[in-house]
Amino acid sequence: MTIEREDVIVAVGAVVAVILQLVVAPNVILFQAVPDFLLAYVLVVAIARPRESGSILPFLLGLAYDLLGTGPVGGMALLFVIASYLAARAFTVLDNDTLFMPLTILVVATFLVEMLYGGLLILLGLPVSPLDALLYRALPCALYDCVFALIMYPVMVRLLAGGSQDRGLRTPHLR
Amino acid sequence: MALNFQQRTSTFVRRALLGALIVVSIALLTVYAREGDGGFLHQVQGAVSGIVAPIETAGGAVAQVGDDAATAVEDAMADESTLSELREYNAQLIEQYAQGEEYRQEAERLRGLLDLKDAYKIEGVGARVIGRSAQAWSQAITIDKGASAGVDSGQTVMGPTGVVGQVVGTTDNTATVRLLSDPQSGAAAIVQSSRAEGIVRGSLDGLLYLEDVAADAEVKVGDVVLTSGLGGSYTKGLLIGTVVKVSDASGGVTRKIVVSANDEASLLEEVLVVFSAKGSSIDSSADEDANASDAAAGNGSGEGSGETGQDGTEGGEAAPASDAGEGAEGSDAGSGAGVDSGADAQAADSGANGGVAA
Repeated sequence: MTIEREDVIVAVGAVVAVILQLVVAPNVILFQAVPDFLLAYVLVVAIARPRESGSILPFLLGLAYDLLGTGPVGGMALLFVIASYLAARAFTVLDNDTLFMPLTILVVATFLVEMLYGGLLILLGLPVSPLDALLYRALPCALYDCVFALIMYPVMVRLLAGGSQDRGLRTPHLR
Repeated sequence: MALNFQQRTSTFVRRALLGALIVVSIALLTVYAREGDGGFLHQVQGAVSGIVAPIETAGGAVAQVGDDAATAVEDAMADESTLSELREYNAQLIEQYAQGEEYRQEAERLRGLLDLKDAYKIEGVGARVIGRSAQAWSQAITIDKGASAGVDSGQTVMGPTGVVGQVVGTTDNTATVRLLSDPQSGAAAIVQSSRAEGIVRGSLDGLLYLEDVAADAEVKVGDVVLTSGLGGSYTKGLLIGTVVKVSDASGGVTRKIVVSANDEASLLEEVLVVFSAKGSSIDSSADEDANASDAAAGNGSGEGSGETGQDGTEGGEAAPASDAGEGAEGSDAGSGAGVDSGADAQAADSGANGGVAA
């Protein structure tokens, strides 16, 4: 088993994402929406390396998210693992060499993870309505996560995929 | 062939790993949901919170660096001729003024805490906020006092103007405080003028709501809301805030009462952890009322739990679980600290979800 350059980059990126979550996230709160750098990073790696990305990184980062906060331990770990797998599969199947598909997958995945996490918290006793969870947290947080995911995406693609996923602003088309 | 076999194996291993990690995640979730506040996963969560607190503290410095960088860029863009000696002198004065203002505000905040401490005859410990929640779904802060300073789960935490939250986890030198504005918070409360009881809860929209108030209870804008001590989770008689909006004054189940939050989480810098408070704002008659309604409701929050905040002595017997009704789980007021353990907090939380103010 050899450790490749890309694995080191992914590991270093994960540490940076954790530090960003701890240090930067509490200081860039917009309308009570806190960015989830860890989710953005997991999804970006899943899309940048759809065939190589495994489940361990999402699990560990999800667990880190759970342990850093006061929410249920295992919740985000579960959602990160599933979202990462689905995002990688969706990208493998749907990629059409434009920026449209990664963007769509990022938006949908972040929204689903935030919404499902809200649902999980409600299931575990958080006394809020699903509509409030959607309007006040899931939607703004998903949008915020997407902003940071879109900043990370070109960087990680350049570092991990060696430019093979360079995208232009072309008209999307189905394969 | 070998390559194909390898790929198939790799795919199998990856899927097996995926399945295994999903199972592990669900197992963790189940254990976390079933264990109490003192459970292993809760303890690990608290320990991690304490470990990363210094890194979170660096966040404030990062924000300051960002501001300084913006100022530097702004200065660099200015005309060179405008950077006269007078401007430099002015900058020095501004810096000195800012520093003085910083000291003045800190002194004011600390004086506010001292005033509160005197007014309520609070026994407790002051602490600095060293970290804030980095997550959207929870409102929590980390403070620089922990178990070694006597801080324990369930203790009430006050800001310069009143109650701001409750300790939910401790390490030796830090503690995690769940703010009242967190949707999972629930503080048994009483309206000072009408003695109407209810539960103050946080929400995702950042407001505090007074809920479960009797339909015929009179609540109007400007009424002061205090902790009632029922359920034993929050020390009795401390100021929560004032009513700022009543959506339907005639009462009924749809009535929404908004209570002004004492302090914004982002503005909190120093807090006071309450071990006990002898100078409650609720008078003795209210105390009797509270106990009477408590007994009538049969919520079994424990005789001592409502009084420990009042007199700071050991509480009476905890109500047996069979008497507990909905809000009684482990209402142990006999800890001697005047405020209760994590189990009590849980009792209040569960009580807050329906039992205490019924």
